[in-house]
Amino acid sequence: MIEFNHVFKRYPGEHDALKDINFKIERGEMVFVTGHSGAGKTTLLKLISLIERPTRGQAVVNGKNIGRLPLHRVPYFRRDMGIVFQNYKLLFDRSVYDNVALPLVVMGLEARDIGKRVRAALDKVSLLNKEKLNPIVLSGGEQQRVGIARAIVHRPTVLLADEPTGNLDIVLSEEILDLFLYFHQHGVTVLIATHDQRLINRAGKRMIVLKHGEVAHDTLDSVDVRQ
Amino acid sequence: MIEFLRTYSRRHAHVLRTTLAQTVRAPVASLMTIAVIGITLALPTGLYVVIGNLERVSRGWDAGGQISLFLKRDTADSAAEKLADRIRRIRGVARVDYISRSQALAEFKNLSGFGNALNLLNENPLPPVLTVHPTNAAEPEAVEKLLDQLRGIDAVEFAQLDLDWVRRLHAMLVIAERGVFVLAGLLGLAVLLTIGNTIRLAIMNRRDEIEVMKLMGGTNTFIRRPFLYAGVLQGFLGAAMAWAIVALVLWFLDSAISDLAALYGSDLRVQGLSAADAGVLLALGALLGWIGSRVSVQRHLRAIEPS
Repeated sequence: MIEFNHVFKRYPGEHDALKDINFKIERGEMVFVTGHSGAGKTTLLKLISLIERPTRGQAVVNGKNIGRLPLHRVPYFRRDMGIVFQNYKLLFDRSVYDNVALPLVVMGLEARDIGKRVRAALDKVSLLNKEKLNPIVLSGGEQQRVGIARAIVHRPTVLLADEPTGNLDIVLSEEILDLFLYFHQHGVTVLIATHDQRLINRAGKRMIVLKHGEVAHDTLDSVDVRQ
Repeated sequence: MIEFLRTYSRRHAHVLRTTLAQTVRAPVASLMTIAVIGITLALPTGLYVVIGNLERVSRGWDAGGQISLFLKRDTADSAAEKLADRIRRIRGVARVDYISRSQALAEFKNLSGFGNALNLLNENPLPPVLTVHPTNAAEPEAVEKLLDQLRGIDAVEFAQLDLDWVRRLHAMLVIAERGVFVLAGLLGLAVLLTIGNTIRLAIMNRRDEIEVMKLMGGTNTFIRRPFLYAGVLQGFLGAAMAWAIVALVLWFLDSAISDLAALYGSDLRVQGLSAADAGVLLALGALLGWIGSRVSVQRHLRAIEPS
Protein backbone atom coordinates (compact mmCIF):
# COMPACT_ATOMS: atom_id res chain seq x y z
CA MET A 1 0.00 0.00 0.00
CA ILE A 2 2.72 2.44 1.07
CA GLU A 3 6.32 1.54 0.32
CA PHE A 4 9.38 3.75 0.89
CA ASN A 5 12.81 2.77 -0.49
CA HIS A 6 15.81 4.90 0.47
CA VAL A 7 13.73 8.05 0.47
CA PHE A 8 15.42 11.38 1.23
CA LYS A 9 13.78 14.73 1.62
CA ARG A 10 15.74 17.96 1.78
CA TYR A 11 14.10 21.35 1.97
CA PRO A 12 16.03 24.07 0.14
CA GLY A 13 18.69 25.57 2.37
CA GLU A 14 18.25 23.06 5.18
CA HIS A 15 19.71 19.72 6.03
CA ASP A 16 17.84 16.50 5.32
CA ALA A 17 14.39 16.39 6.89
CA LEU A 18 14.22 12.69 6.05
CA LYS A 19 17.22 10.42 5.54
CA ASP A 20 17.16 7.00 3.91
CA ILE A 21 13.64 6.05 4.95
CA ASN A 22 12.64 2.42 4.34
CA PHE A 23 9.38 0.80 5.31
CA LYS A 24 6.42 -0.99 3.88
CA ILE A 25 2.83 -0.71 5.05
CA GLU A 26 0.37 -3.37 3.88
CA ARG A 27 -3.20 -2.70 2.80
CA GLY A 28 -5.50 -2.48 5.82
CA GLU A 29 -2.67 -2.02 8.30
CA MET A 30 -2.76 0.56 11.10
CA VAL A 31 0.55 2.27 11.85
CA PHE A 32 1.66 5.05 14.20
CA VAL A 33 4.56 7.31 13.28
CA THR A 34 6.11 8.93 16.31
CA GLY A 35 9.17 10.90 17.38
CA HIS A 36 10.04 14.33 18.76
CA SER A 37 8.95 17.48 17.02
CA GLY A 38 11.18 18.01 14.02
CA ALA A 39 11.92 14.32 13.71
CA GLY A 40 10.20 14.22 10.31
CA LYS A 41 6.69 12.92 11.10
CA THR A 42 4.91 15.72 9.30
CA THR A 43 7.32 15.63 6.37
CA LEU A 44 6.61 11.92 5.99
CA LEU A 45 2.86 12.54 5.81
CA LYS A 46 3.41 15.41 3.38
CA LEU A 47 5.29 13.06 1.05
CA ILE A 48 2.52 10.47 1.22
CA SER A 49 -0.18 13.08 0.49
CA LEU A 50 2.00 14.63 -2.25
CA ILE A 51 2.16 18.03 -0.61
CA GLU A 52 5.92 17.55 -0.95
CA ARG A 53 7.94 15.36 -3.26
CA PRO A 54 10.90 13.19 -2.26
CA THR A 55 14.34 14.57 -3.14
CA ARG A 56 15.77 11.09 -3.68
CA GLY A 57 14.65 7.49 -3.49
CA GLN A 58 11.46 5.79 -4.52
CA ALA A 59 8.12 5.93 -2.75
CA VAL A 60 5.02 4.15 -3.95
CA VAL A 61 1.60 4.95 -2.51
CA ASN A 62 -1.50 3.17 -3.74
CA GLY A 63 0.46 1.84 -6.70
CA LYS A 64 1.59 5.34 -7.75
CA ASN A 65 5.24 6.42 -7.77
CA ILE A 66 4.86 9.71 -5.93
CA GLY A 67 8.17 11.07 -7.19
CA ARG A 68 6.96 10.90 -10.78
CA LEU A 69 3.21 11.52 -10.63
CA PRO A 70 2.42 14.41 -12.98
CA LEU A 71 0.97 17.52 -11.37
CA HIS A 72 -2.43 17.22 -13.03
CA ARG A 73 -2.87 13.69 -11.61
CA VAL A 74 -2.29 14.84 -8.03
CA PRO A 75 -5.97 15.76 -7.32
CA TYR A 76 -7.16 12.31 -8.44
CA PHE A 77 -4.40 10.68 -6.39
CA ARG A 78 -5.62 12.53 -3.29
CA ARG A 79 -9.20 11.33 -3.80
CA ASP A 80 -8.03 7.89 -2.67
CA MET A 81 -7.00 9.23 0.71
CA GLY A 82 -8.57 10.97 3.63
CA ILE A 83 -6.55 13.45 5.64
CA VAL A 84 -7.16 14.52 9.23
CA PHE A 85 -5.39 17.62 10.55
CA GLN A 86 -4.33 18.72 14.00
CA ASN A 87 -6.11 22.07 13.53
CA TYR A 88 -9.08 20.36 11.80
CA LYS A 89 -9.01 22.77 8.81
CA LEU A 90 -12.79 23.15 8.82
CA LEU A 91 -14.45 25.97 6.89
CA PHE A 92 -16.47 28.27 9.10
CA ASP A 93 -18.44 29.91 6.31
CA ARG A 94 -20.67 26.85 5.93
CA SER A 95 -22.49 24.18 7.91
CA VAL A 96 -21.13 20.92 9.26
CA TYR A 97 -23.02 19.18 6.47
CA ASP A 98 -21.38 21.27 3.75
CA ASN A 99 -17.94 20.76 5.30
CA VAL A 100 -18.33 17.00 5.19
CA ALA A 101 -19.84 17.13 1.69
CA LEU A 102 -16.85 19.02 0.24
CA PRO A 103 -14.83 15.97 -0.95
CA LEU A 104 -17.94 14.62 -2.72
CA VAL A 105 -18.76 17.99 -4.30
CA VAL A 106 -15.17 18.24 -5.49
CA MET A 107 -15.54 14.80 -7.08
CA GLY A 108 -18.77 15.86 -8.82
CA LEU A 109 -21.24 13.49 -7.15
CA GLU A 110 -24.98 13.91 -7.54
CA ALA A 111 -26.77 15.78 -4.77
CA ARG A 112 -28.87 12.86 -3.50
CA ASP A 113 -25.82 10.54 -3.31
CA ILE A 114 -23.99 13.27 -1.44
CA GLY A 115 -26.81 13.52 1.11
CA LYS A 116 -26.81 9.79 1.83
CA ARG A 117 -23.05 9.55 2.19
CA VAL A 118 -22.66 12.68 4.30
CA ARG A 119 -25.34 11.50 6.74
CA ALA A 120 -23.74 8.05 6.93
CA ALA A 121 -20.36 9.65 7.71
CA LEU A 122 -21.86 11.99 10.32
CA ASP A 123 -23.69 9.04 11.85
CA LYS A 124 -20.38 7.18 12.29
CA VAL A 125 -18.91 10.08 14.26
CA SER A 126 -22.24 10.57 16.15
CA LEU A 127 -22.84 14.11 14.90
CA LEU A 128 -25.92 13.49 12.79
CA ASN A 129 -27.96 15.88 14.93
CA LYS A 130 -25.49 18.74 14.34
CA GLU A 131 -25.34 18.73 10.55
CA LYS A 132 -26.99 22.15 10.22
CA LEU A 133 -24.74 23.93 12.73
CA ASN A 134 -21.73 26.00 11.86
CA PRO A 135 -18.66 24.05 13.04
CA ILE A 136 -17.43 27.13 14.93
CA VAL A 137 -20.01 26.46 17.67
CA LEU A 138 -18.79 22.88 18.20
CA SER A 139 -16.26 21.79 20.83
CA GLY A 140 -12.73 20.78 19.81
CA GLY A 141 -13.54 17.08 20.00
CA GLU A 142 -16.65 17.56 17.91
CA GLN A 143 -14.77 19.64 15.35
CA GLN A 144 -12.20 16.88 14.99
CA ARG A 145 -15.00 14.36 14.52
CA VAL A 146 -16.35 16.53 11.71
CA GLY A 147 -12.81 16.51 10.28
CA ILE A 148 -12.78 12.71 10.45
CA ALA A 149 -16.23 12.44 8.86
CA ARG A 150 -14.96 14.65 6.02
CA ALA A 151 -11.85 12.45 5.68
CA ILE A 152 -13.82 9.20 5.28
CA VAL A 153 -16.98 10.38 3.50
CA HIS A 154 -15.55 9.51 0.07
CA ARG A 155 -14.48 6.02 1.26
CA PRO A 156 -10.73 6.42 0.84
CA THR A 157 -8.37 3.46 0.97
CA VAL A 158 -5.82 5.36 3.07
CA LEU A 159 -6.52 7.52 6.10
CA LEU A 160 -3.72 9.91 7.14
CA ALA A 161 -3.76 11.86 10.38
CA ASP A 162 -1.21 14.42 11.56
CA GLU A 163 -1.40 14.84 15.34
CA PRO A 164 -5.18 14.33 15.28
CA THR A 165 -5.43 14.55 19.06
CA GLY A 166 -2.82 17.27 19.50
CA ASN A 167 -5.38 19.81 20.70
CA LEU A 168 -7.62 17.42 22.67
CA ASP A 169 -7.69 16.08 26.23
CA ILE A 170 -7.35 12.40 27.15
CA VAL A 171 -11.04 11.47 27.03
CA LEU A 172 -11.63 13.13 23.69
CA SER A 173 -8.39 11.66 22.31
CA GLU A 174 -9.58 8.18 23.14
CA GLU A 175 -12.87 8.84 21.39
CA ILE A 176 -10.97 9.88 18.30
CA LEU A 177 -8.69 6.83 18.53
CA ASP A 178 -11.73 4.56 18.71
CA LEU A 179 -12.94 6.05 15.44
CA PHE A 180 -9.61 5.34 13.75
CA LEU A 181 -9.68 1.77 15.10
CA TYR A 182 -13.21 1.38 13.71
CA PHE A 183 -12.12 2.39 10.20
CA HIS A 184 -9.03 0.17 10.47
CA GLN A 185 -11.29 -2.79 11.32
CA HIS A 186 -13.31 -1.98 8.21
CA GLY A 187 -10.31 -2.35 5.94
CA VAL A 188 -8.95 1.19 5.69
CA THR A 189 -5.18 1.62 5.84
CA VAL A 190 -4.56 4.07 8.70
CA LEU A 191 -1.40 6.07 9.28
CA ILE A 192 -1.28 8.36 12.32
CA ALA A 193 1.56 10.72 13.19
CA THR A 194 1.51 11.46 16.92
CA HIS A 195 3.78 11.94 19.89
CA ASP A 196 1.05 10.79 22.28
CA GLN A 197 2.63 7.58 23.60
CA ARG A 198 -0.42 6.75 25.69
CA LEU A 199 -2.56 6.66 22.56
CA ILE A 200 -0.07 4.37 20.79
CA ASN A 201 0.08 1.98 23.75
CA ARG A 202 -3.68 1.86 23.98
CA ALA A 203 -4.06 1.00 20.30
CA GLY A 204 -1.37 -1.70 20.45
CA LYS A 205 -0.53 -1.36 16.77
CA ARG A 206 2.67 -1.10 14.79
CA MET A 207 4.84 1.97 15.53
CA ILE A 208 7.57 3.61 13.46
CA VAL A 209 9.84 5.89 15.50
CA LEU A 210 11.62 8.68 13.68
CA LYS A 211 14.70 10.40 15.06
CA HIS A 212 16.49 13.25 13.31
CA GLY A 213 14.85 12.25 10.05
CA GLU A 214 15.76 8.57 10.22
CA VAL A 215 13.78 5.48 11.17
CA ALA A 216 15.13 4.74 14.66
CA HIS A 217 12.77 1.91 15.44
CA ASP A 218 9.99 -0.04 13.72
CA THR A 219 8.02 -2.41 15.95
CA LEU A 220 7.36 -4.57 12.90
CA ASP A 221 11.07 -5.48 12.89
CA SER A 222 11.09 -6.28 16.62
CA VAL A 223 8.17 -8.62 16.08
CA ASP A 224 10.20 -10.30 13.36
CA VAL A 225 13.21 -10.61 15.65
CA ARG A 226 11.14 -12.17 18.42
CA GLN A 227 9.73 -14.70 16.03
CA MET B 1 -20.32 10.33 -22.50
CA ILE B 2 -23.84 11.18 -21.34
CA GLU B 3 -22.78 10.56 -17.75
CA PHE B 4 -19.83 12.90 -18.28
CA LEU B 5 -22.09 15.62 -19.67
CA ARG B 6 -24.47 15.23 -16.77
CA THR B 7 -21.67 15.53 -14.24
CA TYR B 8 -20.32 18.49 -16.16
CA SER B 9 -23.62 20.39 -16.33
CA ARG B 10 -24.39 19.53 -12.71
CA ARG B 11 -21.11 21.05 -11.62
CA HIS B 12 -21.70 24.17 -13.67
CA ALA B 13 -25.21 24.56 -12.32
CA HIS B 14 -23.85 24.18 -8.80
CA VAL B 15 -21.15 26.79 -9.38
CA LEU B 16 -23.60 29.23 -10.95
CA ARG B 17 -25.88 28.88 -7.92
CA THR B 18 -23.10 29.41 -5.42
CA THR B 19 -21.69 32.35 -7.39
CA LEU B 20 -25.07 34.06 -7.51
CA ALA B 21 -25.56 33.29 -3.82
CA GLN B 22 -22.20 34.89 -3.00
CA THR B 23 -23.03 37.97 -5.08
CA VAL B 24 -26.28 38.31 -3.17
CA ARG B 25 -24.62 37.59 0.17
CA ALA B 26 -22.13 40.45 -0.26
CA PRO B 27 -24.38 42.92 -2.07
CA VAL B 28 -22.43 46.08 -1.21
CA ALA B 29 -19.06 44.80 -2.35
CA SER B 30 -20.57 43.26 -5.49
CA LEU B 31 -22.52 46.42 -6.28
CA MET B 32 -19.44 48.60 -5.86
CA THR B 33 -17.47 46.54 -8.35
CA ILE B 34 -20.39 46.42 -10.76
CA ALA B 35 -20.90 50.19 -10.43
CA VAL B 36 -17.23 50.89 -11.16
CA ILE B 37 -17.39 48.69 -14.25
CA GLY B 38 -20.73 50.21 -15.24
CA ILE B 39 -19.49 53.79 -15.07
CA THR B 40 -16.25 52.89 -16.83
CA LEU B 41 -18.11 51.23 -19.69
CA ALA B 42 -20.83 53.92 -19.81
CA LEU B 43 -18.33 56.56 -20.97
CA PRO B 44 -17.31 55.01 -24.30
CA THR B 45 -20.82 53.63 -24.79
CA GLY B 46 -22.31 57.10 -24.35
CA LEU B 47 -19.84 58.65 -26.79
CA TYR B 48 -20.61 55.90 -29.25
CA VAL B 49 -24.31 56.74 -29.03
CA VAL B 50 -23.62 60.49 -29.49
CA ILE B 51 -21.47 59.90 -32.57
CA GLY B 52 -24.01 57.45 -33.94
CA ASN B 53 -26.72 60.08 -33.65
CA LEU B 54 -24.59 62.82 -35.24
CA GLU B 55 -23.81 60.51 -38.12
CA ARG B 56 -27.44 59.59 -38.57
CA VAL B 57 -28.49 63.23 -38.62
CA SER B 58 -25.78 64.41 -41.02
CA ARG B 59 -26.40 61.51 -43.39
CA GLY B 60 -29.73 63.13 -44.26
CA TRP B 61 -27.93 66.34 -45.19
CA ASP B 62 -25.24 65.37 -47.61
CA ALA B 63 -27.67 63.74 -50.03
CA GLY B 64 -29.02 67.25 -50.69
CA GLY B 65 -25.60 68.69 -51.43
CA GLN B 66 -26.36 71.83 -53.38
CA ILE B 67 -24.77 75.05 -54.52
CA SER B 68 -26.37 78.33 -53.55
CA LEU B 69 -25.77 81.21 -55.96
CA PHE B 70 -26.48 84.54 -54.31
CA LEU B 71 -27.12 86.96 -57.18
CA LYS B 72 -26.43 90.68 -57.14
CA ARG B 73 -29.31 92.45 -55.48
CA ASP B 74 -30.18 94.51 -58.49
CA THR B 75 -30.66 91.49 -60.72
CA ALA B 76 -34.13 91.59 -62.19
CA ASP B 77 -36.43 88.59 -62.01
CA SER B 78 -36.37 88.16 -65.78
CA ALA B 79 -32.56 88.24 -65.89
CA ALA B 80 -32.40 85.73 -63.06
CA GLU B 81 -34.83 83.40 -64.86
CA LYS B 82 -32.72 83.67 -67.99
CA LEU B 83 -29.58 82.88 -66.02
CA ALA B 84 -31.33 79.86 -64.50
CA ASP B 85 -32.12 78.59 -67.99
CA ARG B 86 -28.47 79.06 -69.01
CA ILE B 87 -27.23 77.15 -66.00
CA ARG B 88 -29.73 74.34 -66.57
CA ARG B 89 -27.94 73.66 -69.86
CA ILE B 90 -24.54 73.22 -68.19
CA ARG B 91 -23.40 69.60 -68.02
CA GLY B 92 -23.60 68.16 -64.53
CA VAL B 93 -26.53 70.29 -63.43
CA ALA B 94 -29.62 68.33 -62.50
CA ARG B 95 -31.98 71.06 -61.40
CA VAL B 96 -32.00 74.81 -60.80
CA ASP B 97 -34.51 76.51 -58.50
CA TYR B 98 -35.02 80.23 -58.46
CA ILE B 99 -35.91 81.92 -55.20
CA SER B 100 -36.87 85.54 -55.88
CA ARG B 101 -36.19 88.29 -53.35
CA SER B 102 -39.84 88.43 -52.26
CA GLN B 103 -40.03 84.64 -51.94
CA ALA B 104 -36.87 84.66 -49.87
CA LEU B 105 -38.28 87.36 -47.61
CA ALA B 106 -41.53 85.45 -47.11
CA GLU B 107 -39.67 82.27 -46.29
CA PHE B 108 -37.37 84.05 -43.89
CA LYS B 109 -40.31 85.71 -42.11
CA ASN B 110 -41.92 82.32 -41.71
CA LEU B 111 -38.94 80.43 -40.38
CA SER B 112 -37.02 83.00 -38.39
CA GLY B 113 -39.82 84.34 -36.24
CA PHE B 114 -38.64 87.91 -36.92
CA GLY B 115 -41.72 88.50 -39.12
CA ASN B 116 -42.90 91.70 -37.48
CA ALA B 117 -39.44 93.13 -37.09
CA LEU B 118 -38.81 92.69 -40.80
CA ASN B 119 -41.88 94.79 -41.56
CA LEU B 120 -39.97 97.74 -40.15
CA LEU B 121 -37.34 97.54 -42.90
CA ASN B 122 -37.80 99.92 -45.77
CA GLU B 123 -36.60 97.55 -48.35
CA ASN B 124 -36.00 93.83 -48.73
CA PRO B 125 -32.40 93.13 -47.70
CA LEU B 126 -32.30 89.66 -49.24
CA PRO B 127 -30.69 88.85 -52.61
CA PRO B 128 -32.29 86.57 -55.17
CA VAL B 129 -30.90 83.05 -54.99
CA LEU B 130 -30.44 80.22 -57.47
CA THR B 131 -30.05 76.81 -55.90
CA VAL B 132 -28.17 74.47 -58.21
CA HIS B 133 -28.41 70.71 -57.64
CA PRO B 134 -25.48 68.88 -59.24
CA THR B 135 -26.25 65.55 -60.91
CA ASN B 136 -23.54 63.87 -58.92
CA ALA B 137 -23.28 65.44 -55.51
CA ALA B 138 -21.20 62.52 -54.28
CA GLU B 139 -18.24 63.36 -56.53
CA PRO B 140 -16.47 66.21 -54.82
CA GLU B 141 -14.17 67.05 -57.76
CA ALA B 142 -16.98 67.37 -60.29
CA VAL B 143 -18.96 69.53 -57.89
CA GLU B 144 -15.88 71.64 -57.19
CA LYS B 145 -15.37 72.22 -60.90
CA LEU B 146 -18.99 73.19 -61.36
CA LEU B 147 -18.68 75.57 -58.43
CA ASP B 148 -15.69 77.36 -60.08
CA GLN B 149 -17.59 77.66 -63.31
CA LEU B 150 -20.63 79.18 -61.59
CA ARG B 151 -18.51 81.62 -59.61
CA GLY B 152 -17.32 83.05 -62.92
CA ILE B 153 -20.80 84.24 -63.90
CA ASP B 154 -21.18 88.04 -63.77
CA ALA B 155 -24.48 88.24 -61.96
CA VAL B 156 -23.28 85.94 -59.20
CA GLU B 157 -22.25 87.86 -56.10
CA PHE B 158 -21.32 84.85 -54.05
CA ALA B 159 -21.44 81.06 -54.56
CA GLN B 160 -21.48 78.64 -51.69
CA LEU B 161 -21.23 74.87 -51.65
CA ASP B 162 -23.52 73.76 -48.85
CA LEU B 163 -21.69 70.45 -48.66
CA ASP B 164 -18.51 71.97 -47.24
CA TRP B 165 -19.39 72.01 -43.60
CA VAL B 166 -21.06 68.62 -43.84
CA ARG B 167 -17.78 67.23 -45.11
CA ARG B 168 -15.89 68.92 -42.31
CA LEU B 169 -18.33 67.48 -39.79
CA HIS B 170 -17.81 64.04 -41.28
CA ALA B 171 -14.06 64.35 -41.04
CA MET B 172 -14.41 65.37 -37.41
CA LEU B 173 -16.74 62.47 -36.74
CA VAL B 174 -14.18 60.05 -38.15
CA ILE B 175 -11.61 61.45 -35.72
CA ALA B 176 -14.09 61.30 -32.85
CA GLU B 177 -14.97 57.74 -33.76
CA ARG B 178 -11.34 56.68 -33.60
CA GLY B 179 -11.02 58.54 -30.35
CA VAL B 180 -13.89 56.53 -28.96
CA PHE B 181 -12.18 53.31 -30.01
CA VAL B 182 -8.96 54.33 -28.28
CA LEU B 183 -10.90 55.40 -25.20
CA ALA B 184 -12.91 52.18 -25.24
CA GLY B 185 -9.67 50.21 -25.45
CA LEU B 186 -8.14 52.02 -22.49
CA LEU B 187 -11.28 51.81 -20.38
CA GLY B 188 -11.69 48.16 -21.35
CA LEU B 189 -8.23 47.64 -19.92
CA ALA B 190 -9.35 49.45 -16.77
CA VAL B 191 -12.32 47.07 -16.50
CA LEU B 192 -9.94 44.15 -16.96
CA LEU B 193 -7.76 45.39 -14.11
CA THR B 194 -10.76 46.13 -11.88
CA ILE B 195 -12.14 42.63 -12.32
CA GLY B 196 -8.70 41.09 -12.01
CA ASN B 197 -8.19 42.87 -8.72
CA THR B 198 -11.62 41.94 -7.37
CA ILE B 199 -10.99 38.31 -8.22
CA ARG B 200 -7.56 38.49 -6.61
CA LEU B 201 -9.15 39.72 -3.39
CA ALA B 202 -11.80 37.00 -3.62
CA ILE B 203 -9.06 34.38 -3.99
CA MET B 204 -7.17 35.79 -1.00
CA ASN B 205 -10.37 35.79 1.07
CA ARG B 206 -11.00 32.17 0.28
CA ARG B 207 -7.47 30.96 0.75
CA ASP B 208 -8.41 28.39 3.39
CA GLU B 209 -11.19 26.99 1.28
CA ILE B 210 -8.93 26.69 -1.76
CA GLU B 211 -6.26 24.95 0.28
CA VAL B 212 -8.76 22.48 1.74
CA MET B 213 -10.27 21.81 -1.67
CA LYS B 214 -6.83 21.07 -3.09
CA LEU B 215 -6.23 18.63 -0.22
CA MET B 216 -9.60 16.97 -0.91
CA GLY B 217 -8.61 16.32 -4.51
CA GLY B 218 -10.15 19.37 -6.18
CA THR B 219 -8.67 19.97 -9.63
CA ASN B 220 -7.51 23.43 -10.65
CA THR B 221 -10.33 23.56 -13.19
CA PHE B 222 -12.85 22.90 -10.45
CA ILE B 223 -11.37 25.41 -8.03
CA ARG B 224 -11.04 28.25 -10.50
CA ARG B 225 -14.52 27.81 -11.98
CA PRO B 226 -16.42 29.87 -9.37
CA PHE B 227 -13.93 32.71 -9.81
CA LEU B 228 -14.34 32.69 -13.58
CA TYR B 229 -18.10 32.69 -13.11
CA ALA B 230 -17.85 35.61 -10.70
CA GLY B 231 -15.70 37.53 -13.19
CA VAL B 232 -18.08 36.91 -16.09
CA LEU B 233 -21.07 37.80 -13.92
CA GLN B 234 -19.48 41.06 -12.77
CA GLY B 235 -18.50 41.99 -16.31
CA PHE B 236 -21.97 41.20 -17.60
CA LEU B 237 -23.79 43.08 -14.83
CA GLY B 238 -21.33 45.98 -15.19
CA ALA B 239 -22.15 46.19 -18.91
CA ALA B 240 -25.86 46.03 -18.08
CA MET B 241 -25.34 48.92 -15.69
CA ALA B 242 -23.49 50.89 -18.39
CA TRP B 243 -26.45 50.31 -20.66
CA ALA B 244 -28.82 51.51 -17.95
CA ILE B 245 -26.70 54.61 -17.29
CA VAL B 246 -26.64 55.56 -20.98
CA ALA B 247 -30.38 54.94 -21.33
CA LEU B 248 -31.05 57.03 -18.23
CA VAL B 249 -28.90 59.93 -19.43
CA LEU B 250 -30.57 59.87 -22.87
CA TRP B 251 -33.99 59.80 -21.25
CA PHE B 252 -32.92 62.76 -19.13
CA LEU B 253 -31.68 64.70 -22.19
CA ASP B 254 -34.35 63.57 -24.62
CA SER B 255 -36.93 66.32 -24.12
CA ALA B 256 -34.24 69.02 -24.15
CA ILE B 257 -32.85 67.69 -27.42
CA SER B 258 -36.30 67.46 -29.02
CA ASP B 259 -36.91 71.09 -28.05
CA LEU B 260 -33.63 72.09 -29.65
CA ALA B 261 -34.42 70.06 -32.76
CA ALA B 262 -37.85 71.70 -33.00
CA LEU B 263 -36.15 75.11 -33.13
CA TYR B 264 -34.32 73.92 -36.23
CA GLY B 265 -37.57 72.75 -37.77
CA SER B 266 -36.65 69.10 -37.33
CA ASP B 267 -38.42 66.32 -35.49
CA LEU B 268 -35.11 64.69 -34.62
CA ARG B 269 -35.26 62.10 -31.87
CA VAL B 270 -32.21 60.76 -30.07
CA GLN B 271 -31.69 57.10 -30.72
CA GLY B 272 -30.33 54.97 -27.87
CA LEU B 273 -28.39 51.73 -28.18
CA SER B 274 -29.92 49.32 -30.66
CA ALA B 275 -30.68 45.80 -29.45
CA ALA B 276 -27.70 44.51 -31.42
CA ASP B 277 -25.37 47.15 -29.92
CA ALA B 278 -26.65 46.35 -26.45
CA GLY B 279 -26.02 42.67 -27.10
CA VAL B 280 -22.46 43.45 -28.17
CA LEU B 281 -21.97 45.60 -25.06
CA LEU B 282 -23.18 42.83 -22.73
CA ALA B 283 -21.10 40.22 -24.53
CA LEU B 284 -18.03 42.45 -24.35
CA GLY B 285 -18.61 43.00 -20.64
CA ALA B 286 -18.84 39.27 -20.03
CA LEU B 287 -15.74 38.68 -22.18
CA LEU B 288 -13.74 41.32 -20.29
CA GLY B 289 -14.87 39.70 -17.03
CA TRP B 290 -13.77 36.29 -18.21
CA ILE B 291 -10.36 37.49 -19.39
CA GLY B 292 -9.77 39.55 -16.24
CA SER B 293 -10.64 36.74 -13.88
CA ARG B 294 -8.81 34.18 -16.00
CA VAL B 295 -5.56 36.15 -15.83
CA SER B 296 -6.00 36.81 -12.12
CA VAL B 297 -6.83 33.18 -11.33
CA GLN B 298 -3.87 31.99 -13.38
CA ARG B 299 -1.53 34.18 -11.37
CA HIS B 300 -2.89 33.79 -7.86
CA LEU B 301 -4.42 30.32 -7.61
CA ARG B 302 -1.13 28.60 -8.28
CA ALA B 303 0.45 30.37 -5.33
CA ILE B 304 -1.96 28.68 -2.93
CA GLU B 305 -0.76 25.18 -2.21
CA PRO B 306 -1.36 23.18 0.95
CA SER B 307 1.65 23.19 3.24
